[in-house]
Amino acid sequence: MTTISDHILKVRDVHYAYHTAGVATPVLHGIDLELRRGEFVIIMGPSGCGKTTLLNIIGLMMPARSGTVELDGAEVSSLDDAGRASVRRNKLGFVFQRFNLLPVLTVEQNVSLALRLRGDQLDGQAIRILERVGLADKRHSKPNALSVGEQQRAAIARAVVRRPALLLADEPTGSLDSRNAQSVLDLLRELNASDGVTTLMITHNEHLADRADRVLFMHDGRFA
Amino acid sequence: MLLLAIAHLRHRKLRTTLSILAVGIGIAMLIVMLGLSHGMLNEVADRMQSVDAELIVLPENENVIFTAGAAFSGKYAPLIDAFEMDGRRVVKRTIGVMVDTLHMGGQQQRLFGVDRDDMNAFLGRRKIIEGRLFDADRKFGNLLDSMRNENGYYDPTRITESQEASACELVIDTRLARVGKYSVGDQITFLGRSFKIVGIVQSGVAGRVFCPIQVLQHFKNAGVPWVSLFFVQLRPQQETAASNYDERVADALSAHIKAKVELKTAYRQLMYESFSQVYIYINAASGVALVVCFLFILLTMYTMVLERTREIGILKSLGAGRMYLLRMSVIEAVIICTCGTIVGIGLAFGAKYGLESAKPLLTMTIEPKFVAIALAIGVVGGSLSAIYPGYRAANLDPVAALGFD
Ligand SMILES: Nc1ncnc2c1ncn2[C@@H]1O[C@H](COP(=O)(O)OP(=O)(O)OP(=O)(O)O)[C@@H](O)[C@H]1O
Ligand SMILES: [Mg+2]
Repeated sequence: MTTISDHILKVRDVHYAYHTAGVATPVLHGIDLELRRGEFVIIMGPSGCGKTTLLNIIGLMMPARSGTVELDGAEVSSLDDAGRASVRRNKLGFVFQRFNLLPVLTVEQNVSLALRLRGDQLDGQAIRILERVGLADKRHSKPNALSVGEQQRAAIARAVVRRPALLLADEPTGSLDSRNAQSVLDLLRELNASDGVTTLMITHNEHLADRADRVLFMHDGRFA
Repeated sequence: MLLLAIAHLRHRKLRTTLSILAVGIGIAMLIVMLGLSHGMLNEVADRMQSVDAELIVLPENENVIFTAGAAFSGKYAPLIDAFEMDGRRVVKRTIGVMVDTLHMGGQQQRLFGVDRDDMNAFLGRRKIIEGRLFDADRKFGNLLDSMRNENGYYDPTRITESQEASACELVIDTRLARVGKYSVGDQITFLGRSFKIVGIVQSGVAGRVFCPIQVLQHFKNAGVPWVSLFFVQLRPQQETAASNYDERVADALSAHIKAKVELKTAYRQLMYESFSQVYIYINAASGVALVVCFLFILLTMYTMVLERTREIGILKSLGAGRMYLLRMSVIEAVIICTCGTIVGIGLAFGAKYGLESAKPLLTMTIEPKFVAIALAIGVVGGSLSAIYPGYRAANLDPVAALGFD
């Protein structure tokens, strides 16, 4: 039986429209979504259907125009800027298609920055997570000295080092060849299986979809 | 955050270096300006303090810094000498000085015309390093005194050219001797005549150049014994005298002889007041230099924000709040400005060394106070100039910033 606390994420009736030069472009039309703790869910759908928009709203990178987002038992969509930043620090991890590592910092510093931002003690967590993603020997390298596969593994390490309640991944394999894509997905699944990292991932790659607990198809701002 | 700021600064070494240099130059300019103006004034003020006298008597409306020429007639000295307060004579000695200027050591110097017998008040414990005092045995002084009528006048045409020539003697201080490479026996042209350097005294005396007051009076005033100003030595205080004794004497004497009487100890203050106008310009110039250099920092920080738009998006996605981004900008600017200030202090010490080597008559003092002011301005200016760029960074839209190339 499912209790309330089993749900890490509850999205209710979220609508969103972009406004450019006074013209509104509706993108999301009433999204409902629930994720259980420890689930690994993939969202698929044609380009432009609103997947990234939804992920950004769930990730509190932009405000929902209407509807609610409940994360780890707390309503978060109406928080102010500082509150949203705090939720991003404490509950969320992001993995992007473009890796988004800070180029001036080493791999280890990128990972430890995530901890420092939250005021956490470092005590070897960064190195441990880098060992798990197989980058311990590259920890003093700058990101641009790494292969793309390694960069994405470093980005994943940074995203999960704070043990986020929810990991959001927007086409994390989109910039990778199929071999690297497989290994990144292996890593995400492994983290999900052993650490119970709840993951919501967007992908266009059908070969990856069958590894998910659930696959949601989005079309024109709605789940099919 | 410090780590990230330093990483950013190291990532752009040239720009960081240039920014540090810009701040450094601005700060160095401030310190040099302050150091030179205070140094010059204090050096002169210190020298005036060395005179063994308590009061300075000046003509009404005259400024002790700029006064020159013959302002007081011969009747003043006896009047001051005889001055009584509370029924007691208070003046020990009245020392008349005639001030003039002459060109030596590459610039105008103040020339103190003093009676040979009054020179002790100026020399104090300072030694005559080389040679002797002017007007040996007060020969010229005594000669004129022997010719004076009851009003103190004599007929200057009765002095022969050789008597005049032998009286044209100068005493200079060691600093001027070093700068002008003068030594005893050298001739200096002044008032169209040849003056001989007969002695060099330890620097720190009130004037850099001394000559017999009688010579100045003879050539410039046809022998009329007028003077520019008086130094007044007071008699030792009575046992019950109040602490403001000198001031009371000064006020009473001033009223009595209708002239301005200043405490010697007020000289420094008077100097600063006299140069307050100049200070305004100096401070304004330094201020403008600093404003320009902080605008440069503002621009640099602003460029950094534009350049790092995507990084700011990344930081926001990691949960960095607005305050964090604002602080990051400020910390970076403060690091630049603190380094720049330290460089500027170093440059200022270098400039002091260079200036004083090239122009030994310049005195530049770098007081701890100036260093503290420079550091304060550096840190505050740096923080302020980082606020707007930091504010822009804080307000970037995270999604737009992440999509930025
Ligand atoms: N900043 C924006 N301003 C205006 N319209 C936008 C903006 N961002 C996205 N859109 C539009 O909103 C729609 C949904 O975009 P979104 O990025 O969510 O799609 P997506 O499903 O992630 O597509 P893709 O698979 O190509 O990444 C698209 O039509 C897009 O053009
Ligand atoms: Mg997308």
